[in-house]
Amino acid sequence: MIGYIIRRLLVAIIVVIGIAAISFALLYLLSPSPVYAVLGAKAQPAAVKSWNLQHGYDRGELAQFFTYLGHLLHLDFGYSYKLSQSVSALFKENAGRSAYLTLAALILSLVIAIPLGIAQAVKRNSIGDYAATAVNFTLYSMPSFFLGLILIQLFALDLHIFPPTVSDSITTTWQAFTHPLQLALPIITLALINVASFSRYMRSSALDNLGQDYIRLARAKGLSQRAVLMRHLLRNACLPMITLVGLSIPTLLAGNLLIEVLFNFPGLGLLFYNALGNEDYNILLAYTILGGVLTVLGNLMADVAITVADPRIRVG
Amino acid sequence: MADQTSSKPLLEGLTPLGSPDALTTAPEGGEVGFVASGWRLALREFLDNRLAVIGVAVLIFFVLFCFVGPLIYKTNQNFTNPLITTLPPSSAHPLGTDENGFDELGRIMKGGQTALAIGFFASLIATVIGTLYGAIAGLLGGLIDGALMRLVDILLSIPFLFIVLVLATKYSATVLEESLILGAFSWLVPARLVRGEVLTLRTRDFVSAVVVMGGTQRRLVFRHLIPNALSVVIVNVTFQIADAILALAYLGFLGFGLQYPNTSWGDMLGNAQQYVSSGYWWLVYPVGFCLVAVVMACNLIGDALRDAFDVRLQRR
Repeated sequence: MIGYIIRRLLVAIIVVIGIAAISFALLYLLSPSPVYAVLGAKAQPAAVKSWNLQHGYDRGELAQFFTYLGHLLHLDFGYSYKLSQSVSALFKENAGRSAYLTLAALILSLVIAIPLGIAQAVKRNSIGDYAATAVNFTLYSMPSFFLGLILIQLFALDLHIFPPTVSDSITTTWQAFTHPLQLALPIITLALINVASFSRYMRSSALDNLGQDYIRLARAKGLSQRAVLMRHLLRNACLPMITLVGLSIPTLLAGNLLIEVLFNFPGLGLLFYNALGNEDYNILLAYTILGGVLTVLGNLMADVAITVADPRIRVG
Repeated sequence: MADQTSSKPLLEGLTPLGSPDALTTAPEGGEVGFVASGWRLALREFLDNRLAVIGVAVLIFFVLFCFVGPLIYKTNQNFTNPLITTLPPSSAHPLGTDENGFDELGRIMKGGQTALAIGFFASLIATVIGTLYGAIAGLLGGLIDGALMRLVDILLSIPFLFIVLVLATKYSATVLEESLILGAFSWLVPARLVRGEVLTLRTRDFVSAVVVMGGTQRRLVFRHLIPNALSVVIVNVTFQIADAILALAYLGFLGFGLQYPNTSWGDMLGNAQQYVSSGYWWLVYPVGFCLVAVVMACNLIGDALRDAFDVRLQRR
């Protein structure tokens, strides 16, 4: 087991270096130096040259990449010349709120999707099952921000239950945590998007398990339906969800970006969005790499967790 | 040349699948009800699926609506008209007018043309690159395969939306540019699928036969491996189109759309955000409905095709 984890970690490190290299190369092609953002678009060539020389942007691409990689190892993501702050400070400021939004949505979606999937499997081919499948299929085919717009119309403008956008007074993670009404719509929107794909897998996993002998045995022992489902089916049917949650990190990050922009919620997604408009390439590069690292970590943790949770999976 | 002269004696006595002889010789282990080529069987299975037929009908409808519709329903989509901005639906403008005085129904047709075109071209680019890449990796095997697939792993770990958005800061003004940036980062999944298929195909007897007969590598890839892996690719194409249209909507929402006065459904839906609170529902929901309907149709077709090609699921 430990050997397996070490081997996976080594591969992950190589993949992360590859992610950094490809992202760096792409952004380098788009903008080799932030000099015009600092000195203005009409800067004198001599000033440009001396600024580049001073900040190391005159060296070869490879040399610059290895310097950047070295800084990454020290969690130094560069400097945002537009916001006059280091990127890591900006990340530190925003990461908590984004993590809260994403985790709350993830938990809510699991809380909805797991019972829904099991109920659909138990009552398969009933009207309720078809209705749930249809709703899930529609949600799955819907851009997340459009779902958000519909929910804003419904719950904010028509029913006045929740505010349409997150208030500007929410500036810390703790405030986000203590104002559940403010955050309700973003969390619900993000959660519903995930429910669409999660409950689909949950349904098919529960269906597979319902046909197994151990369920028939539990029924033959005379256990109630409740006990069969809660004590026996639930645990086994949830195993694929471990992998699914691990693999859904890119979707969560993308959803996070769109929902933060839609609801004007200050987090990493909104930071990235503003950096797109400002062409603040250091933030774009850093967040792209961070997204890649989180994706790799998600896969890795899912694989390790599934081998721990499911003794049938053996690692060599 | 060589394989043509030597193929006759080798194939003597063998009955190809689907020939009349195959009908009479039932394989061991049971009776065979109906034997036809895999494609025929898949088509039958597909047409039996009512949802799939609806999906095809919806897709055909929208293609006609967007490309033939403007020939019948002629509207001005080139010059703004400040006198008739944001009019509610009326007999003159069945879906009202937008903030520039364009007729919304005509606008939806125009935006649909670009959305469908970009979805089609992006998935075409992704499929061609992915199929060739996967086939080459699977066929060559060994170290080259390892290196090629690690590159796919790395690129897959970078969140798709992030990298596409970063590129869209510079390149998103034309249909060609949007197709290229979406296509350039969505060939990874088809590459993996085709490689997996080629890996299992290349151990089959017919591949050995081609090699023994002296067939060239090129012939093997283009005449034998890719056609046999095609079912996997075709299923993937429909999902690719759906994903590309969704990704386009995200780009439009975040403000990286086509150059004005060109537009796509994504751009229109992106603008819709500001109209929800003003109550201009005709600028929000009709275009959102069209986009969700097309994406759903593609997803339905994809699901049905996957079931149709999956032999294990047949005769459910």
